[in-house]
Amino acid sequence: MNVGNWLALGGAAIVALAAVAALRRRITATASGRRFFRHPTAVPGLFVLAFFVTIAIAAPVVAPYPPYFQIDITNPDLPPSTQFLLGTDPYSRDVWSRLVYGARVSLGIGAVAMLVAATIGTAVGAVAGYFRRWVDTALMRLVDVGLAMPRIFVLLMAVALWEHIALWVLVLLIGLTGWFGTSRLVRAEVLSLRERDFVVAARAAGAGSGRVIFRHVLPNAAGPIIVSAALGIGNMMLLEAGLSFLGLGVPPPAPSWGNMIADGWHKMTVAWWASTFPGLAISLVVMAFNALGDALRDALDPRRAGEEGGEGGGAA
Amino acid sequence: MATWLVRRLAASIAIVFAVVTITFFVIHAAPGSPFLPAESQHLTPETLRRLSTEFGLDRSLPEQYLLFLRNVVRGNLGQSFALRRPVADALADAIPNTFTLALAALLIDFALGLALGIYQAVRAGRVGDVVSGNGALLVNSMPVFWLGLVLLLVFGQWLRWAPVGGLSNPVLCPRLDSPACGLDFLWHLTLPALTLGLVGAASTARYQRAAMLEVIRQDFVRTARAKGLRERRVLLVHALRNALLPVITLFGLAFPFLFTGAVLVETVFAWPGMGRLAVNAIFQRDYPVVTGAALLTSAMVVLGNLIADVLYAVADPRIRVRSETA
Repeated sequence: MNVGNWLALGGAAIVALAAVAALRRRITATASGRRFFRHPTAVPGLFVLAFFVTIAIAAPVVAPYPPYFQIDITNPDLPPSTQFLLGTDPYSRDVWSRLVYGARVSLGIGAVAMLVAATIGTAVGAVAGYFRRWVDTALMRLVDVGLAMPRIFVLLMAVALWEHIALWVLVLLIGLTGWFGTSRLVRAEVLSLRERDFVVAARAAGAGSGRVIFRHVLPNAAGPIIVSAALGIGNMMLLEAGLSFLGLGVPPPAPSWGNMIADGWHKMTVAWWASTFPGLAISLVVMAFNALGDALRDALDPRRAGEEGGEGGGAA
Repeated sequence: MATWLVRRLAASIAIVFAVVTITFFVIHAAPGSPFLPAESQHLTPETLRRLSTEFGLDRSLPEQYLLFLRNVVRGNLGQSFALRRPVADALADAIPNTFTLALAALLIDFALGLALGIYQAVRAGRVGDVVSGNGALLVNSMPVFWLGLVLLLVFGQWLRWAPVGGLSNPVLCPRLDSPACGLDFLWHLTLPALTLGLVGAASTARYQRAAMLEVIRQDFVRTARAKGLRERRVLLVHALRNALLPVITLFGLAFPFLFTGAVLVETVFAWPGMGRLAVNAIFQRDYPVVTGAALLTSAMVVLGNLIADVLYAVADPRIRVRSETA
């Protein structure tokens, strides 16, 4: 770490703080915004996320070394010091630098996979809830099967059997196996919304099914979808970490946080820092997403405010 | 209730059937063959042909599927390619280990989770609640295998309080045939069970706290207090009984979590259970073991949900009525 890196790190913290403050000013104007910020963990959660997003974007200035750079392969496993903030790993790479670049990979995978899952889950749930009858039955039976499938198992199978799977395929697969819960949630929401007067009015005015679903029903179901997405990103990240840990996730040497834990695992007794810090980073970010999800629930879904806990409980 | 149960049971079997079918076709659709990994190209064509015939891989896919189904119905899960033994035997060896681990974890999960949840609800909003609540949220957010690694490092390596892995001491207790070895087994069980249990407990506590807070506000609790009952009795008998209901659902949800967690935790602690068996089988393209494990796991998940539903119906008559009319 040189002076420039420290300055960049401090700058990242300031940027994150400023972002949270700006957001707070912007949205406390609304009632739900105030409910959001009244939640005690909303601000710390937002700050942690803003911080990691900032250093992910500013990785080249915050990280003293490139993520793949092997400093001195004859002398690996150096403990944390002022030069190597979090030490070096068994391949003599700077753990802090990899952690910073890894934020791009891990956060990116979580976000994209969740986007895929939320999109499919919303679409399926809306179609099932809106059209009911056999469409509903067929789709919900599919969801039953999907929920009964041991997810990590399916992913392991896909990755192991096809070998050398591309990163985007992996992300797609994580998303494709993660939408079942969301679709149930959306379906329940749509089932109650479709009977409401404003939907009947829209239909009476001659709006087609697509228009009714997208313009009238779904906007009113946005709250629960956003909440479940926030809680879901954490699970996606944990799943990616688990797969990478088993050697079937992000292909090495790319620095995902799960990969980093796997890299340091076998030398945990000599160099505990190589596995410990990436795990801590995952825990912090997932915790931030969970805190954010709770606060969002208070804000967007007042009916269920106070009800705690996401689905499952740390899938991996 | 009876018709409802029969319907649910039929649906459960259908779900397991679907999972197994999907697994079967996904594996067989994958490129490559179990006998042709890149590193063992030296098998002669005759040997390959013989192996293919022996395991029925030379038949067409629909034929293989029907054969597989017929065998499953008869309770025959086939012959493992890699282990050279019946799949059912391999699973039967692994299941008790996973079950013991899951049971111990479940025990820690609910004992610790309920206690913590009640404590937090009673102290709601005060320092103890906030600190333990955030602590639980953090533990709940940890990758379970990472928590296992950290516990292993601290208690296995640094403090040397617990063994670093395996089922029992391989030298002193290769088989579990004496009371001392039973203790050795429990000692080996501690860290993996604690790893899974702690993560579960963190989530159970959050549900329990919310459920308890909900109940404490209600009139019958005030009545119980008003008639002079001790606070302990009010909380642990009157309130807790009603606050347990939402937590029952967690019991069903815990099943998939325990399996997912087991895959990873068993790897960290070298615990010879189902998870490790399945992961190794996947790596070795051991089709029959993979399908067998999928069958068993999905059956457990479905069973967990079924048990939760039944417990729910038993615990709350209102739900029974609703699900019968639905």
